[in-house]
Amino acid sequence: MIAPKKITLTIDGRRCTGQEGQTILQIAQANGINIPTLCYLKHLSPWGGCRMCIVEIIGSPKVVPACSTPAVDGKQVVTNSESLRKLRRSTLELLFSERNHICPFCVMNKGDCELQLQGYRHGIDAISLPYLYPAWPVDLSGKYLALDHNRCILCTRCVRTCEEMEGTHTLDISHRGAKNRVVVDLGATFGTSDSCTSCGACVAACPTGALFDKAAAFRGKLGTCQTIRTTCTECPVGCGLLVYTKENRIVEVFGDFDSPVSQGHLCVRGRYETWAEPRQRIRQPLVRNHGKLEPATWDEALEAVRKAAKKAKPAQKAVLVSPRLTNETVATLKKFERVGMFVAPNEAALCANNDHSPDAMAKLHDADAIIVLGAQPSRAQGVVAAKIRTTVRLRKAKLLIFHTRKSDLDQYATLCANVVSLERKFWGRVADVLREAKRPVLVYGPDAMTSIGVAVLERLVKIFEARTAGPAPTLIALPTGTNSLTLAAGGVEPVEEVGPWLDAKPLKFLHIIASDEPDGGARLLDERYVWALLEEIDCVVVQAAYESKLTDIARVVLPATVWCEKQGTITNFEGRELPLQAVLPTRGEARPDREILEAVLK
Amino acid sequence: MKASMSDKPKVKVATVWLGGCSGCHMSFLDLDERLVELVKLVDITASPITDVKEIPDVDVGIVEGAVCNDENEHVLRTLRAHCKVLIALGDCAITGNIPALRNQFKLEDVLARGFVETESTQVGDIPGSPNVPTLLKRVRPIQEFVKVDAHIPGCPPDADTIWYALTKLLAGRMPKWTEKNLCYD
Repeated sequence: MIAPKKITLTIDGRRCTGQEGQTILQIAQANGINIPTLCYLKHLSPWGGCRMCIVEIIGSPKVVPACSTPAVDGKQVVTNSESLRKLRRSTLELLFSERNHICPFCVMNKGDCELQLQGYRHGIDAISLPYLYPAWPVDLSGKYLALDHNRCILCTRCVRTCEEMEGTHTLDISHRGAKNRVVVDLGATFGTSDSCTSCGACVAACPTGALFDKAAAFRGKLGTCQTIRTTCTECPVGCGLLVYTKENRIVEVFGDFDSPVSQGHLCVRGRYETWAEPRQRIRQPLVRNHGKLEPATWDEALEAVRKAAKKAKPAQKAVLVSPRLTNETVATLKKFERVGMFVAPNEAALCANNDHSPDAMAKLHDADAIIVLGAQPSRAQGVVAAKIRTTVRLRKAKLLIFHTRKSDLDQYATLCANVVSLERKFWGRVADVLREAKRPVLVYGPDAMTSIGVAVLERLVKIFEARTAGPAPTLIALPTGTNSLTLAAGGVEPVEEVGPWLDAKPLKFLHIIASDEPDGGARLLDERYVWALLEEIDCVVVQAAYESKLTDIARVVLPATVWCEKQGTITNFEGRELPLQAVLPTRGEARPDREILEAVLK
Repeated sequence: MKASMSDKPKVKVATVWLGGCSGCHMSFLDLDERLVELVKLVDITASPITDVKEIPDVDVGIVEGAVCNDENEHVLRTLRAHCKVLIALGDCAITGNIPALRNQFKLEDVLARGFVETESTQVGDIPGSPNVPTLLKRVRPIQEFVKVDAHIPGCPPDADTIWYALTKLLAGRMPKWTEKNLCYD
């Protein structure tokens, strides 16, 4: 590869060096020269629409937007002059007069709004144009997102984010002139949109209060919040979270742009479902007394657990854990004789037989053909789905989907079929599509472990082997359990059917760690016979953060911590060890999972 | 202290409260002990604070609030005719702000919502007495009616901002707005 040519230009009288192909704005920023921007965001393609970043080039009769003008060697650029300031001020006056930018009741007031900040910086005390006061609607129909057209400046940061980060292109601009507006799905609302995944990336990108999080609105100015970086524990992708807190409550959660995994992106689970949590927290230990769960002290509860555990022989005792536990708990879990981890159907084989897939996200980014087999990323690993969508849509990769259930991702596929209905003709087309692939990637989930899934996998391997040229595909195992690969590697037995597992060895003592699972671990009870089997066990201890059907049947309930109170590490599906940082102090008397386990062992 | 001890005659000031919440006047009173210093320099004549209604000839007129009805317009024009320098105090006077939210609706709908449809109203009636000011079709900032010489933005502008602007103006200079003194919260 040829290294890009070095260029030198003079910006505001300073010699600045950069590379050919960089924009004036990029070189100015790299050299510490501040040019005001509104529609520009580092991670999006430049738009050049807001006209805040205009600069003068000596010898050129007109001003140009620095964000989208390539720098030319030897040119002299002026970023700050009386006429530029006047032009920028006029632009701002037009923006302020066009819609209803009424700051006092805006969610972004007091320092979070970039438009307001530019107004301050340009010393705007009043504007010389009459205000239009147009009547714009506010869309509050979405579960998490809201769109207030009154505050929109049409910078298209949301539109570009939706296209370039989430890849759904839910948002776009419609109409002309003063009626120009952001639209959801050609005129739907967030509540009725088919394509919106509620990933919230558009809200994070919005410079004004036009797009905002309903749950975060008016809960405090972000500038005065504490920010803590942690890792999302909803799925094995391990996206970086940037959590804003104030007075021990979460104000808002954004994607962390420094995260090597997600690079600022999140899905609805990490962005909203983590903190907009409606469930009732368990705040103190509970012990069953005459058939009724009653509050107890930790000492009493632990004593009850130890007493029951002592009555059982080692072979009659077991621990059943959620795949959300941290790496640090593995060592403690090993002290128990029998430890199982409840996983999704077909996932046991995936966890037991597969390793992490290093740099999976980067490989998905660069792929020219992606095969998805037996995985449902758009349901279970939203950021992987977003990566697949953007690779297919923006970088024109081919997408082949072999599914067991339809999903949103199917519409982007070159070829898509259910694994049970594959015909000879279809396989011919698969071979055609894959013939030219130079960077093929095969993502497989739990359903690839069924006998049909394995047959499809073998067939695909044969197609790749039959190719005359080109590399073998990069294989990416995509489990659904957060830390299931690491826990399985640490000796925890993945259990997909709890019934037979309980039945294999009759138990007298079962300790279930449900952590902050979305269903509180209650899906265990959905399985046939499990209810009856649990009833036969003398003592069922449930360690969980939230009340559920499972805690209802427990003899002892121990309050556990949730994602934002956890400390430790988890390892994502790429094999990256990612830190969990406690964002809030533990609620009530909840204790970390490992501490409880150690206390039980005493 | 006798007035004659001061060599300079006091600057005469009148303030009016148009369509606004009186928050700007409250913020003005937030000058606290600086008010003592201020009254050494100025004479506050007509004002909601002194409760003097008749506006005499003054040096400085200060306006809080937007122009929402014909009475607001009358007061504003009277003040402009009687003052040398007119200052818009706060966002309502400058942009229309919260009162201007009704501009998105028809005037009849606004009146019906306020006097007839409110949840607590049993039998409502839209007031039509000639003694009640008539609402303008649209709420407008004061610079759309009269010439404004200086603006003190904020909702409300905080006491320090008001103090800065007043002291500058009393010294015969215009306030210079920068990020530092505009972004005060």
